[in-house]
This record gives sequence, structure tokens and C-alpha cells, in this order.
Amino acid sequence: MRDRVNVYLIEYAINSLLRQKYKSLFITIILTALVFLLTSMFFITNSIKYELQSTVDALPEIVVQKMKAGRHYDIDVDSVDNILEITGVTGAVARVWGYYYFENAGVNFSIVGIDEYEDQYKSSLTNAANNLDFSSSSMIVGEGVKKSMQNSYYKEYFNFIKPDGSLKKVTIGGVFNTDTELESNDIIVMSKDSVREIFDMSADKATDIVVKVSNVDEIQTIATKIKLLYPDCRVITKDDLKISYQNIFDYKSGVFLALFIVSLFTFFIIIYDKVSGLSSEEKREIGILKAIGWRVDDVLKEKFYEGFIVSFFAYLLGSFLSFAFVYIFNAPLLQNIFTGYSELKTSFSLPFVFDFQTMALVFFLSVPIYIAATIIPSWKAATLEADEVMR
Amino acid sequence: MIELNNIIKKYEINKNNTLTALDGINLSIKEGELVVLKGASGSGKSTILSLIAALSKPTSGEVVVDDKRVSKLPENFASDFRRDNIGFIFQKYNLINTLSVKDNVLLPLVPMNLHVDVLEDKLKRVLEMFHIKHKEDAIVKNLSGGEQQRVAIARANINDPKIILADEPTANLDEKLSFSFIEILKELKRRGKTVIVATHDPLFFNLDIVDKVVEIHQGVIS
Repeated sequence: MRDRVNVYLIEYAINSLLRQKYKSLFITIILTALVFLLTSMFFITNSIKYELQSTVDALPEIVVQKMKAGRHYDIDVDSVDNILEITGVTGAVARVWGYYYFENAGVNFSIVGIDEYEDQYKSSLTNAANNLDFSSSSMIVGEGVKKSMQNSYYKEYFNFIKPDGSLKKVTIGGVFNTDTELESNDIIVMSKDSVREIFDMSADKATDIVVKVSNVDEIQTIATKIKLLYPDCRVITKDDLKISYQNIFDYKSGVFLALFIVSLFTFFIIIYDKVSGLSSEEKREIGILKAIGWRVDDVLKEKFYEGFIVSFFAYLLGSFLSFAFVYIFNAPLLQNIFTGYSELKTSFSLPFVFDFQTMALVFFLSVPIYIAATIIPSWKAATLEADEVMR
Repeated sequence: MIELNNIIKKYEINKNNTLTALDGINLSIKEGELVVLKGASGSGKSTILSLIAALSKPTSGEVVVDDKRVSKLPENFASDFRRDNIGFIFQKYNLINTLSVKDNVLLPLVPMNLHVDVLEDKLKRVLEMFHIKHKEDAIVKNLSGGEQQRVAIARANINDPKIILADEPTANLDEKLSFSFIEILKELKRRGKTVIVATHDPLFFNLDIVDKVVEIHQGVIS
């Protein structure tokens, strides 16, 4: 009989929690809040890691930028031919791009120019090139750009203000799709000619040059050769970019680490409070149970159920709320820690990344520890003589 | 048969002081007897009940119930012994006030994980026997003192134990309810239970159902 799951013991545990409803509710709320905070931090971290990884993966192997007075200047398009002659280089594209400040929304858009017959340096741009109407002034925009423009009633076209103050009307031809929103959200793709017109660049100039290399082991060697060829240029490899992205990410992870430590600290204060003792009423109840024939393990099983019900419920609720907070409501406030409070960036949605390890980590940080904190003081009381406990 | 052989029980008050609650108690109670332990508060009556129920262990000596040395039983075996053999009616009832009558009465059976039909049968039997069936779903804290005692008696009898121990059962009852409790004792004795009542209430000392009155004074049988 004793081997079956004892539903009466579970029922007693539930009743016991309901009898102390305010205390149970308070502990559940605190635990739920801690699980919510921890899980949200992990969800955001995982999503942004995924975003950054995708962004880094899409980066060109080498970027060549012309420098003048320590600042980035337009580079001669002719340089492409000289770079292509370097052994190991499989492709070089002169990019025409820049930032456009959209005053109505207070955000910056990235405008990227492409040529119809040019090999694109990113697959996402190839898709854009296929959908872009090069015969007219047309553009493909990211989701964030589309929303910002629509909010300002630009649904079919947009008038870009050129450096000389005149307007350049460009129609919205489609929406840009890539794996990651962080990469595509604020992007506008149009023909290189249109971009040159908006930024007032001459036809023989480009913003920078991206270089493709057949053997990744040779990136550094080729970068050195380019540097020798153009000493006035800055040559940036994919690894350099990876490091600078990672540095930003690591720095911001520190803020999350601090939040993580605060959460754990709060949790352990609750645990310490629970372990440090039972109320006289709780001790008396254990004494009564023992006096009427409950074994120590019956008391502990009942306390296990109590701890499990509270902590597992808090874990599920906290995880669910965190899921909704991060992936449905887009983690207001917390997301800003990573993406910055600047208004100069269009909003984006965090990609859903389910990581079993994260869920397991939060589970093991909350449920078993709380159960142990429930059982240990009860075990102390239950192993005393019932007579002593009641007295 | 219950035997207490040369029982000494000392409580440690602090590191340097101990209190001797029982000092060399020898007592023998036969099956089916109703025994009254008489004595003033602090004389050691409740301690004797506690030792018979294996709720505590003597400092020296032994308690034997039906040839079983209960004072030597390990913790879990002592719990089993209590559940199967002892019905304890506490002075302050020791009910869980926020539970219903039904839940309180069934509490000793919870760890046994019995079938619901068995539980219902046992519950019905004791609630009817002790006239508390009509309050089955009432919350204990809302009951009168007499009703709470009936719940405590029903709980003590739910597993049909051979031995009933009652600690100052009439201390919180008026005269009418005290007589009512005596009627319950008569019924228990009629059913062949061994009943031990620890009390200083004179009402019990001359009852015809009482087989033996044992007077305790400062931890010693007078």
C-alpha cells in the first residue's frame, strides 16, 4: 500500500499550503519573480548571442577603408582591380553605403547600394537584388524601416533629403528578409546610383571595399598584402570585427551578471530564512503528526510535496512569464541593457532560441534548492522526540 | 499488558540543570483495564503517558507493551507502534485547527494510503460512535470545546487501537461535558480497550468503571 503514490499526502500538502495562503502566496511570488528575472536574462542573452553570431557569420572576410586625418573617407573604385590581382583573392566589391538620419522617428537607417550584375557579398543582398527594380528609383527596406516610415505616413515612397537640400523620391518596392532582425531591421537596399545621389558621391568613389578570400587561413596574409599596397587604408579582417563585437557583448553581459548575482543573493536570503527555522506552529504540527503515528519519512515526503508544488509552480509560471516578456513583449527595459538606450536604432524583435541547458540551469538553481530548504528544518523537527516538539 | 520497569525520566533544563520527572516508576496495567493516574500538575502523569506512547524515551528503565520493549524502538518503529496501538487524547486536543473535522480524524491514516472505501468506513464508524458526524465538514476552530474533544477522541480511535491514553481530558470541559466524556470512557471499556487517564479531576477517582487509581507525587508512585 505504501509503495503507491500517496495522493492523500499530496492532498494534505496542498491543504497545508492553502492553510498558510498568504505566506505561500508571498513565497510563490518572490520565487516566480526570481525565476522570471533569471530566465529573462538567459533568454535575452541567448537571443542576442544568436543575433550576433549570425551577424558575425555574414561579415565580409576583409574590409578595406580609406583613411584621412584619422577618419573614414571614400575610396577609389579602381582599387578593386588592384586588389583582385592579389593571389588568393576570389572577389572584391566596392560598397556604397551610409547612414541616413530619419528625423521624424529620431532613428538612423543604413542605406546599402547594390548593382544588378555584381556578385553580392551577402546572400541576403542577392535576394534583395533579385527583388529590386533597378529601372526606377526603388528600394527594399527592413521591417523596422518600414514601420518607422509608415508611422510617418510614408507608405509607398520616401523623400530623402540630399546634402544640397533637394529631395530624392524613392518608392518602397519590398521588405528585406534575413535570418536575423538585428542585421536587417534598419537596412534600406537600393541601386548604387541612387545611394550615390542621396549621399552626393561621385561614380568613381565607394564607401569601402569588401574582399573575399578562398582560404580562410590566408586572410591575415592577404590583409597584410593589401596594407602594403594601400598604406593609407585601414584593413579590417573578420576576426578583428568578431573581437570588437564580442567585446561589446561581454561588456554588456557584465550588467546581466550583476543582475544574476543580485537575483541569486535574494534567493539565498529566502533559503537561509527558511533553513534557519520553523515557526512554533509548524513545529507543533510536526509534533502532532508524529504523535498520531506519522513516520519521519512521511513528514519529509509531505514537506517535499509542499516544496515541490511551490517551487515547480513558480518555475513554470516564471518561465512562462519570461517567455512572454522576452519574445512577445520584446523585453522592455532589459533589452536596452544590450541594445542601448539610444534612439538612433530602430526597434527589433528578439529571435526565439530555445536552450534546454538554460531551462535546466534555472530549474536546478530554483526547485531542488527550495525543496531542500523546506525539508531540512522539517527534518530537524521531525527527528526530535514528538513530546519535545509539542512542548 | 503494559509494564513500566524502574523508569527514570530526566529532562535537561540547561547544561548544568536537569529536572527529574519520574524517579523509579514501576507499574503494571492489564489488558482491558481502565487506570487513572492521579496527581497534581507537574507530578509526572503526562510523562508516563508519553513514555507508554513511545513519544519519548526514558532516561533509564524500560516500557514494555505486549512483550514489546517500546522504549527501545527506533524512531520509525515507534511511529508504527503508535499508529497501530495507541490512541492519544491530548489535554489541549492537539487538533489542526484550520482543517475540517473529517480531515483531522483521518490524519493518522494519511501515510497508510488506504483505499477510499476503507477510509470512508472507518470515518463513518468513529464519527457516529462519538456523535460528531453532523459536524463532519466543519472547521475545527469553529467548534466548541466539547465538540473539539469528541473530534480528538474520534481521531484517537480511527485506527481502532488497543490502548487509549487521555491526558487531563476534562481540564477544559464543564461538568456536563465531563460526564459525557465518562460515558465515552464506559463505551471504550465495554469495547475492551485498555484506557489510561491522567487527571487531577476528583470526578474520576470513585467511578465504578475504574479498575485502578495510581497516585503520583513528584515523580514517584505514592
